[in-house]
Amino acid sequence: MWAAVTRTIVRQIYSIASVALACTVSLNISVARADVVAVVSSKSQITALSKNQVLDIFLGKRTRFPDGSSVIPIDQAEGSAARDEFYTRLADMSPAQVKAFWARIIFTGRGQPPKSVATGVEAKRLLIADPTTIGYIDQSLVDSSVRVVLAP
Amino acid sequence: MNLRSNRLATAIALMALPLCAIGDDVEPGSGSSVLSFSGFGTVGVTHSSEDNADFPAGIFQSNGAGHTRSWSAEVDSLIAGQVSARITPELSAVVQVIAEQNYNGTYTPHVEWANIKYQFTPDLSVRIGRVELPTFLFSDTRKVGYTLPWVRPPIEVYSLLPITASDGGGFSYRLNSGDLTNTTQGSYVQSNTPEPDNRGTAMARNSINVSNTTEYKSLTFRVSYQHALLTISSLDGFLDTFRMFGPQGVAIADKYNSDDKPVVTEVIGASYDPGRWFVISEWAHARLNSFLGEDTGWYASSGYRIGQFTPYVTYSQERAASNSDPGLTLAGLSRPVAGFAAGLNAGLNAILETIPTQHTVSLGARWDFAKNVDLKLQFDHMRIGADSDGVLINIQPGFRPGGTVNLFSATVDFVF
Repeated sequence: MWAAVTRTIVRQIYSIASVALACTVSLNISVARADVVAVVSSKSQITALSKNQVLDIFLGKRTRFPDGSSVIPIDQAEGSAARDEFYTRLADMSPAQVKAFWARIIFTGRGQPPKSVATGVEAKRLLIADPTTIGYIDQSLVDSSVRVVLAP
Repeated sequence: MNLRSNRLATAIALMALPLCAIGDDVEPGSGSSVLSFSGFGTVGVTHSSEDNADFPAGIFQSNGAGHTRSWSAEVDSLIAGQVSARITPELSAVVQVIAEQNYNGTYTPHVEWANIKYQFTPDLSVRIGRVELPTFLFSDTRKVGYTLPWVRPPIEVYSLLPITASDGGGFSYRLNSGDLTNTTQGSYVQSNTPEPDNRGTAMARNSINVSNTTEYKSLTFRVSYQHALLTISSLDGFLDTFRMFGPQGVAIADKYNSDDKPVVTEVIGASYDPGRWFVISEWAHARLNSFLGEDTGWYASSGYRIGQFTPYVTYSQERAASNSDPGLTLAGLSRPVAGFAAGLNAGLNAILETIPTQHTVSLGARWDFAKNVDLKLQFDHMRIGADSDGVLINIQPGFRPGGTVNLFSATVDFVF
């Protein structure tokens, strides 16, 4: 009889453990999926932005933060994993869709895409130097010098 | 602009090329470079099942697929280069040169756009020079295949206002409110576009254009209005012949000539594009008060993105208010005069048949197979109106209105 109870308890522990494991795995996945975050300098007054606000800034549709101060977006190079993930998260836009969007702006003389940099480290360096800028970097690069305003 | 200033602007554009080639950063992605060079193009073939007429991409082309060539590379193929210059943070200039099938069948490059923009504030700018008119949702980049979901914008709507470049000036004012972006554009321009077969030009003057675009998240809504005075004198000789027949003939000549006639175009368009899929629809009405008649067109299109593939389906139609006119009353005329009058009436009705009435079902797919390059395949099933030539040109004696035409197009679009 004790053996049966023990088996039941062990089974319970197993199932709890496996649920916990499953949770951890899924948590890991969701953390892994939230790699890229939109950041500003920690000296900036901006604390949080919506997906749409961030998208509009990067697509050149707005040039000001919601508080009225001007903003300059810093993009990452075409083909970089961070860039592809950023636009997919933000608006379900593939690299080709982002390219086509800018082609519409460029070939009507309405503007040019934001300045882009090769790496997240470079983006962070520029962000810290200028509190009017906004960029996106890998979560692992976040420290006290920057503030996450959106985790898309 | 005349031919000479055209050449001048081409020369300026070509001279600017080496300049930006030696610049340290010519990537269009850099917002800081003073000069940037970019370009776009399309290489494509179109096959038409109709041997007795040509399918052109626009009414200013001299030939297309069908009669001239069963498989034509001339419908959609083009290449363009553009130099953008940022002179100061507020002042910028752009010159775009395109080589495409011209009105005379040649591919001599021409200056599509050349303008100077002054950005008073981030939301208010003014442009002067050769500019595009933002009439339709895609009219400003209708030639940049890479920016379009289709091989070409639905011709039933986009042929209603075929002029792509005009000379003049305009403003753009943008307003942000919450998630809403509203852009109002206005311009005052003129244009003089050569017509195929040495028929002269289509001259639009005093052209006033207003458009308002509202964007809310994935939704875009545009209304636009255009008013211009259009002169096309190629048919004046024929129409003046009617004047010999007294008041009724004079009335016909005055009704159908295009001598400084007011042209009014109204467009309503909307698109919804949350990323994975899209729907786009536009409605347009054009009243030209001449032999070009009055036409209403609309289309609805939807596509779904599966990885690099975007299959789409489009329905579009265009309907002329009238494709015929009873013409001169023959009763009471002597026999030879009546015969002559009947000939004039037939000629008039043949002209009115060129006002497009047709509808098309299109199926196609875009494949983004490499960076900055796409491949599109499109099948169009067009039904031509009973009294109309549809959008077809170079009509041959064997052509019968009211039939169907199948088109197959394959294009590769690129940007650089």
